[in-house]
Amino acid sequence: MSQRLVKVTSYFGERDRVARRLLADELLDIYAEQRVHASILLRATEGFGRLHHVHTDRLLSLSEDLPVVSIALHRHTEVEALLQRVLAVKRRGLITLERARVLSSDDHGELVDGRREEAAKLTVWVGRGERVGDRPAFVAICDMLHRLGLDGASVLLGVDGLRGGRRMRARFFSRNADVPLMIECVGPREPVATALTELHRVLRDPVILRERALVCKRGGRLLAQPRALTDDERRAGLSQKLTVYSPHDARHRGRPLHLEIVRRLRTSEAAGVTSLTGVWGFHGVRPPHGDRLLQIHRHVPVATVTIDSPQRIARSFQIIDELTDEHGLVTSELVPAMRALNGVESAGVLRLDETAG
Amino acid sequence: MSGWTWLAVALLGGAGASARFLLDALISARARGDFPLGTLAVNTSGSLLLGLLAGLSVTADALVLAGTATLGSYTTFSTWMLETQRLAEDARARVAAANVLLSLLVGVGAAALGRSIGAHV
Repeated sequence: MSQRLVKVTSYFGERDRVARRLLADELLDIYAEQRVHASILLRATEGFGRLHHVHTDRLLSLSEDLPVVSIALHRHTEVEALLQRVLAVKRRGLITLERARVLSSDDHGELVDGRREEAAKLTVWVGRGERVGDRPAFVAICDMLHRLGLDGASVLLGVDGLRGGRRMRARFFSRNADVPLMIECVGPREPVATALTELHRVLRDPVILRERALVCKRGGRLLAQPRALTDDERRAGLSQKLTVYSPHDARHRGRPLHLEIVRRLRTSEAAGVTSLTGVWGFHGVRPPHGDRLLQIHRHVPVATVTIDSPQRIARSFQIIDELTDEHGLVTSELVPAMRALNGVESAGVLRLDETAG
Repeated sequence: MSGWTWLAVALLGGAGASARFLLDALISARARGDFPLGTLAVNTSGSLLLGLLAGLSVTADALVLAGTATLGSYTTFSTWMLETQRLAEDARARVAAANVLLSLLVGVGAAALGRSIGAHV
């Protein structure tokens, strides 16, 4: 049976501190104390937030405070207590709540006879050093997802995290085998359901999440606009999230696609964008790939995320649609609750509206 | 060199690196486009000042402290190279080439200018 979870995501600066401690550590401590289902900390390579400060790993002096994304998965029934603690931390950045389901091996049916949307998105959390047979698990998983004909998969490396109550921080001189990584994949429902069964067969104890995503574009083809919200949903203050999965070496008029997306959205006054560079993955029919030794261009996937109000998402989608005329898998998701934090005022309450979404 | 000189090298080296970080970050945060202007500004101004020191015929401990320690840690070869590599990675081949050539030309020019200013003071 699948289990309802809430995904609490915070976007902030790697160097942000609260009471002389790193915010990322503070949040992970709270997550450990509240015994969350699992947590992961991801480091982005490019981004800007509400104040439009750009951070990038392309220039040395602007790369010392890159954006980070801290995700916690928590039981739906106990999320109130967690949020109370998390929102009490005065800080800047963005916090969102999303719904997700953890799928067990017998949820194949739930995926296949789902409702309206034809595509499904799965997120798989495994240890960095976990192996399937004699290969790294993420390589074996990507091969399998590619063979099953999914639209794409991106492997995002965690730098810290929690699993089964245990803290797993990446260290310089360490194998870091237990530090979590996250594989996001999107595809038609049938093969995704087959992938679920297969994943449970080959992995020891994976976290497999199902999230509700709509595939808007694939390989330059427009499939759907981000869903227009109903009046009720607008009143409930729902936000939307667009994610563009693209190869690092994809170009738009000779310039890297993911950088163009960040640049154009920044000049369009979008609220914020975060670019996460993966280590392995695939897009469409091109076989899974990653970096090679002595290369000039990188061959890893990039996931570029923007979260905003429905009006601004509609505008951002026009820009993204124009830029992804050849490459890119674009998905849209509903974000039931979001709050921008300014570091001074208390964040107040944040809850999932049970009627909406 | 005395122990005090070593201590001063350490302190001035730190000050040079801090000055670079501040100036580079200030310029990079305001610059539009992909060109690493911050690093160019740092390296050019450092070359000008080092040329000036040479033109003024500064020697011995003073040269070690102002030249090697302060300007040596202020300017940066490694950042210049890394940012050029990142530009090539992002398919900005022309910008990468311009970053190498422009830095060379402007850098040598700045050092020569500094030297002749120093020699005529």
